[in-house]
Amino acid sequence: MTKPFYTRWKMWLVLASVIVVYAWAFSGIPFTGIKQTAWQIIQAIFKGLFHPDWDYVYLAEGEDLLRGLGETLAIALLGTSISVILTIPFALWASRNLVRTRLFSGASTFTLSLIRTFPDIIMAIIFIKAVGPGAFAGVLTIGINSIGMLGKLNSEAIEDLDMGPSEALKACGANRLQTIWYAIVPQAIPSYLSFALFRLEINVRSAAILGAVGAGGIGTPLIFAMEGRTWSRVGIILLGIIVLVTLIDWISGMLRRRLVQGRS
Amino acid sequence: MIEFRKVSKVYPGGTVGLNNIDLKIEPGEFVVIVGLSGAGKSTLLRSINRLHEITSGEIFISGKSITSAEGRQLRVMRRGIGMIFQSFNLVKRSTVLRNVLAGRVGYRSTFRTLLGLFPKHDMDLAFGALKRVNMLEKAYQRADQLSGGQQQRVSIARALAQEATIILADEPVASLDPLTTRQVMDDLQRINREMGITTVVNLHYIDLAREYATRIIGVRAGEIVFDGTAAEATDDVFSAIYGRPVSEAERLGGKTDEAI
Repeated sequence: MTKPFYTRWKMWLVLASVIVVYAWAFSGIPFTGIKQTAWQIIQAIFKGLFHPDWDYVYLAEGEDLLRGLGETLAIALLGTSISVILTIPFALWASRNLVRTRLFSGASTFTLSLIRTFPDIIMAIIFIKAVGPGAFAGVLTIGINSIGMLGKLNSEAIEDLDMGPSEALKACGANRLQTIWYAIVPQAIPSYLSFALFRLEINVRSAAILGAVGAGGIGTPLIFAMEGRTWSRVGIILLGIIVLVTLIDWISGMLRRRLVQGRS
Repeated sequence: MIEFRKVSKVYPGGTVGLNNIDLKIEPGEFVVIVGLSGAGKSTLLRSINRLHEITSGEIFISGKSITSAEGRQLRVMRRGIGMIFQSFNLVKRSTVLRNVLAGRVGYRSTFRTLLGLFPKHDMDLAFGALKRVNMLEKAYQRADQLSGGQQQRVSIARALAQEATIILADEPVASLDPLTTRQVMDDLQRINREMGITTVVNLHYIDLAREYATRIIGVRAGEIVFDGTAAEATDDVFSAIYGRPVSEAERLGGKTDEAI
């Protein structure tokens, strides 16, 4: 018995497609060659990075590393808090076990997908145009952008809940709000908090980058230092971001572990 | 009193759940519904408080139609009917007391219940209900720390806190071991006798049915094929209800004086 056509030619077809895709991709990138000075510049960058400008950590007149990181953390915390509250109605409406009308839960799911398709940088640029550059634009970006992920995760968590208690509350004569409050909320809280902490970790990274387009936080001095080629300052800022992100991940991870243990 | 008038239930797809049921259950009765799984026991029980909707006919609770009740009216009728589930259906992460107080939410405004502001009357009822099922000392423990039998007793306390005049129990002992099964059935019987609460229970153990029921209703293919006292429900009757000889899996065994 001979192999069917598809099986015989499958490998060659895949290979041909990969070659076509690569050819197309490379044809779009202009190769200008490597400059003569490249090696010197790379050496300068690494020298700066490994000799951080420690004086920048604290400056009496302000605009230093600690204040920049503080603002970044504040943007992430405030943005996450806003999204954690705004996500509640979306999560409930998108849960197919709570909302019987498909159209209604579908509308919420669609809104959440739409929010998720926006990269945070694009959303930040839009908010900067709307409210001006600064930390407020960063808070709005993170507050709105996080809803996409949190709403989806929470609604999926709600869809996986044991619906027995809801049935029991319904049988007790509870109305919909009472049923949600007594049967859904206590079950959903551990995962809700866990998702919020996880999103906070993402948002600290996000807030650090958003400054690069002018949405406040440590990203703004970082981009200025890069444009001014003060690599030692870039070095200390990157170091600061690494420490902040690691610290938040560690605290958040610890809290989330305790939530999971308390769940069962 | 619970009254079924020409009640039918056809599931989407054509499966008949209930077929033209006429049934009257008097106040204070301890009715056990028996039948194979899929015979319509659960549909029959759950149609009483409209957790399952019926397709035709009408069901009356104390003379009032629950079939035509809507919104607040339906909730008021439901709060007078306690329900016990096979899987207990407690909120596992909440305390025992909060689970019992959940039986009171139908009596209080949404605002009050969201804040958890239950009046003293409700607290007294909740503690009284817990005392009645011997679970008072567990009031502040989380429900998931209790054994299955204890959880089921908490769910009985929840029904008592509702000041229910009817208790519906859908396979209340199916996930319990033989010893706790008897404790839970004893609790249900005691409440039925002492408080005069009409009790309707779905069971699949025929010896338990004979032991506790004042009246046994046999269901087969959505129809009532037997309705009589426990003494009338002989093994032959059960064979007729099941459409096959009674198997040993349908007996719990233990205390019963019937030959096994």
